[in-house]
Amino acid sequence: MEDLKHIVLLFVGILVAFTVVMTMVAYTVLAERRILGFIQGRLGPNRVGPGGFLQPIADLLKFIFKEDIVPDKSTRFVYFLAPTIATTAALMTIVVYPFGPEIHLPLIDKTIQLVVARFDVALLYVLGVTSVGVYGIALAGWSSNNKYSLMGGLRSSAQMISYELALGLALIGVILQSGTLDLYSIVEQQSGHLGISGWNMILAQPLGFIVYLIAAIAETNRVPFDLPEAETELVAGFHTEYSAMKFALFFLAEYVNMFTVSMLATTLFLGGWNGPFVHQLPALGVFYFLGKVVLFLFFYIWLRGTLPRFRFDQLMNFGWKFLVPLALINIVFTATLQWSGAFDFFAKFLKTSTGWGG
Amino acid sequence: MVPQLSWYLALSAVLFTIGVVGVMVKRNVISMFMCIELMLNAVNLTFVAFSSFFRDVSGQLFVFIVMTVAAAEAAVGLGIIISIFRNRESLDVDDSSTLRL
Amino acid sequence: MLALLFILFAGMAIGCAISMVAQRNPLYGAISLIGVFISLACLYVTLAAPFIAAVQVIVYAGAIMVLVVFVIMLLNVEEEERRPLRLRALVPIAIGLAAVLFAEAAFIIFFVQASPSTPTRNISDVGLTASIGSGLFTSYLLPFEVTSILLLMAVVGAMTLARRGGLLPANVGVVPGYQSFSREVLNPMATPDLTRVEARTSREAEELLGVADAPHVSLDE
Repeated sequence: MEDLKHIVLLFVGILVAFTVVMTMVAYTVLAERRILGFIQGRLGPNRVGPGGFLQPIADLLKFIFKEDIVPDKSTRFVYFLAPTIATTAALMTIVVYPFGPEIHLPLIDKTIQLVVARFDVALLYVLGVTSVGVYGIALAGWSSNNKYSLMGGLRSSAQMISYELALGLALIGVILQSGTLDLYSIVEQQSGHLGISGWNMILAQPLGFIVYLIAAIAETNRVPFDLPEAETELVAGFHTEYSAMKFALFFLAEYVNMFTVSMLATTLFLGGWNGPFVHQLPALGVFYFLGKVVLFLFFYIWLRGTLPRFRFDQLMNFGWKFLVPLALINIVFTATLQWSGAFDFFAKFLKTSTGWGG
Repeated sequence: MVPQLSWYLALSAVLFTIGVVGVMVKRNVISMFMCIELMLNAVNLTFVAFSSFFRDVSGQLFVFIVMTVAAAEAAVGLGIIISIFRNRESLDVDDSSTLRL
Repeated sequence: MLALLFILFAGMAIGCAISMVAQRNPLYGAISLIGVFISLACLYVTLAAPFIAAVQVIVYAGAIMVLVVFVIMLLNVEEEERRPLRLRALVPIAIGLAAVLFAEAAFIIFFVQASPSTPTRNISDVGLTASIGSGLFTSYLLPFEVTSILLLMAVVGAMTLARRGGLLPANVGVVPGYQSFSREVLNPMATPDLTRVEARTSREAEELLGVADAPHVSLDE
């Protein structure tokens, strides 16, 4: 009976997390179009509903009713499999992020931690699922039987696996400092005075944070690293031949990926649900978490409106010859500081929780 | 019913046999390479099963090292396959049976 | 519950493995092999080895198979054709041996009792990251360092093998008549493009190689 209650609670948690993420992703699409419009000196979509508020629903209806064109000579099984893999891999990562601290639910009289699945190797799980998401793009490019799609798919996959390396190396600094791979413990260790001073970004990892941010932008194929799907270069890259619902799945997968890396940056570097007065009122943690994620999303959209894009060989050079050595230097630097005790010295002033483990 | 150690060993034996059959039957070099990876994974499963049932971490450390060696082998092996393809323009192992081009 | 999970993931693993061997198209074989790796990772999780499961997904399914899929796409590998079996007597022998394997597996599953000294699995700390880390850096330090040197050797080897052939020497000569180059020889930026480009005459070949305005040396002098 306890098992059954536990499973039901898990399902409810997954459903709630999924709903929250999908709603925020839908409004991120709208926000991107409006904010890009303001940056470019025009209004975005503002017809449907007050201020364009119902635009995502209009987009959804459009995608459902559009004609589904399947190219004649494509390999059908792989053609249908590719958007499924991309979307599934993008959505699977949201189960390990801690949305808030322990709160007491009055309805069922339980105190739960606001994370769907808390296990020992959560950070490696996120890296693994992101690696599997590369297949969606590579297989989409191949199965469309179109040379632009193939070029776009291969370039995009090569870019993603190159920057995955820099991403993983940037995270090692945080792991060295926290001593655990469990995301909930990492967030718990970042509680500081007024909820702000304990953040990992402040104490030791500004370099790691910058490397992670750049690698995350490249990982999600956003400007300035979006050559593989730029309209002026490759028609639309790997999703040229996809229409209607399957294109909607790719679109969704890209925005959920953006959301995922923002959540990971928030959890590891910006203190997750930590903030002023979060221990007195735990439900505030959810708002702090989502607020920080929205900050990152705004940063992504801002970059999209401002920067030109890299050429592909410049992109690969940057990833391998600049970011990876920088991340390695960060690891050596962090390890030296950790070994010499400088972290513990500063942590006594900045953090309020106990040290390693969690 | 809790899964016994023997179940995992039987599964590993079956996977290993399927890999051996694949190496013998396939003619494409890349397919043969993938069957070799399947054999390595069957052995990994044996290691992890023993490590779990005897509460000893050495099994999992060996798996770690086997995975690293498999990754290195994959990189070099695929480089060799590309070189073979460049010189002989065919990925059939029967076409590579003589050293002369 | 655990037995149900074992049957589910073991069935998936065996099904994907048989599918990989039976497929003629190598890309479908690669996708089936990814299925095998992911079901094995799930089996490792039921065996209380979460770190190895995550590393399996990251290394095997996420890196090695991406490499294999790239190579299949770049070399444009086609399906194997069906060839008629020449030794007809092998088919009943194969069926007999498969039956022997099946009988062995069934015997092991149904009749082998757990010996009393094998501990039944309880929750233990063995598979967690901390114990793997402490084992890897204390008693297994030498294999760890040797493995890192092995990876360095693999990187150097792969770079040497895949070096592009597009570096033309200073005084390149053109053979008379029909010849064909691979595109990566003609354009160093297009590595690794192996599609052939024809030059029907030596004049066309000179233009492709970019040496059409070089002084022509006659070999008779």
